Amino acid sequence: MIPLERYPKEISLRDDARVVLRPMIPEDADGLWSFLRQLPEIDKAHFHEDVDRREEVDRWAKSLDYEAVLPILAIRGDRVVGTVTLYRNKTGWKQRIGIVRILIAPDHRHLGLGTAMIREIRHLGEKVALNYLLAEVIEEQQAAVRALERMGFEKTGVYRNFVNDRKGHLHNLVVLLHPMSGLEK
Amino acid sequence: MNCPVCGAEHFSVPGGGKAAPAGERLCPYQGVPYTGLRAGHDQIYFGRWRRIDASTIDLRRAYHQLERLLNGIAVALETEDIPAARSDLGKAVEALHTAGPGEDGPEALRYLDHALSYAHRVIGDLLHEKGLPPHSPADFAGWYDAGEVPFREDW
Ligand SMILES: CC(C)(COP(=O)(O)OP(=O)(O)OC[C@H]1O[C@@H](n2cnc3c(N)ncnc32)[C@H](O)[C@@H]1OP(=O)(O)O)[C@@H](O)C(=O)NCCC(=O)NCCS
Ligand SMILES: [Zn+2]
Repeated sequence: MIPLERYPKEISLRDDARVVLRPMIPEDADGLWSFLRQLPEIDKAHFHEDVDRREEVDRWAKSLDYEAVLPILAIRGDRVVGTVTLYRNKTGWKQRIGIVRILIAPDHRHLGLGTAMIREIRHLGEKVALNYLLAEVIEEQQAAVRALERMGFEKTGVYRNFVNDRKGHLHNLVVLLHPMSGLEK
Repeated sequence: MNCPVCGAEHFSVPGGGKAAPAGERLCPYQGVPYTGLRAGHDQIYFGRWRRIDASTIDLRRAYHQLERLLNGIAVALETEDIPAARSDLGKAVEALHTAGPGEDGPEALRYLDHALSYAHRVIGDLLHEKGLPPHSPADFAGWYDAGEVPFREDW
């Protein structure tokens, strides 16, 4: 089981705002919906779910299974201002790889929240003995590439015209890996 | 002279002007969590070894300051359960040893720089566990002779 005793965890951002980090629960559907609606199109490129449909978000909130998909929300007051999600395979050849997706509300960027969320996911990844964290970022998202690299992710490849956004336009995909300490033993 | 509060060598007033009025201890790290680690980090970060005209002595000094900083970090980590930070500390120690004491040249510089970056990340992890934002040396630049240190927007 993934250890979640550290939540809720309160942190302060660079502007002294207080934000609470905790796993998403079904009741967060409203908050998540408002969060997703304010995102610019480019930030939604990597969703395979249709996040413009409320039913889809509700379905997602109701079917939470932390052992497979663990979304950690950053909440300021009663507003969701960021998410980081750890995707895992329970069985099979990729069970020691965790896939990371991170999204911060545009008006809450550059305050250290993204970095704090990456720290959380590194911590959880260590706790469940993953060998690698993997992040996939479209090349335009240089802030994401830099934020991940600063926290120990290494760029392992760039795939040209590899993924399409929701309008069908192609983008280069940057793959980043973070080796975990279990690998060194 | 080393500051009696944080142990680092920094100006006693920001900007390096006149000394502080008698009886008044001025240290920018006073009262912040991990005073010693932050100050230890910054005196290296703003240290002479990174300048174009750095001498072998400056480098050797940075090496020993880093060694002390990493020891201090190791002690702080003993009571914390942060595996990612432990792993980064291991990498910092490895980089420091690769740089080696008394070495100079671009390779040694690069490894010292790596060791310092890892140390910075671990201090960030320690602060994060306490719910605090990462340490930002730029906030303390006025207390050092920082003119020539290249601005690193990463930090
Ligand atoms: C990537 C992302 C999560 C970063 O979140 P964030 O909260 O802004 O991250 P942080 O504040 O921790 O740090 C990142 C930025 O702050 C800057 N920063 C760091 N320290 C700073 C300081 N002391 N002062 C000012 N800025 C600073 C960094 O340089 C970086 O800036 P950049 O965007 O110019 O590279 C966010 O931009 C995002 O949601 N992007 C879109 C989604 C995405 O692409 N996700 C990746 C898919 S996995
Ligand atoms: Zn001091």
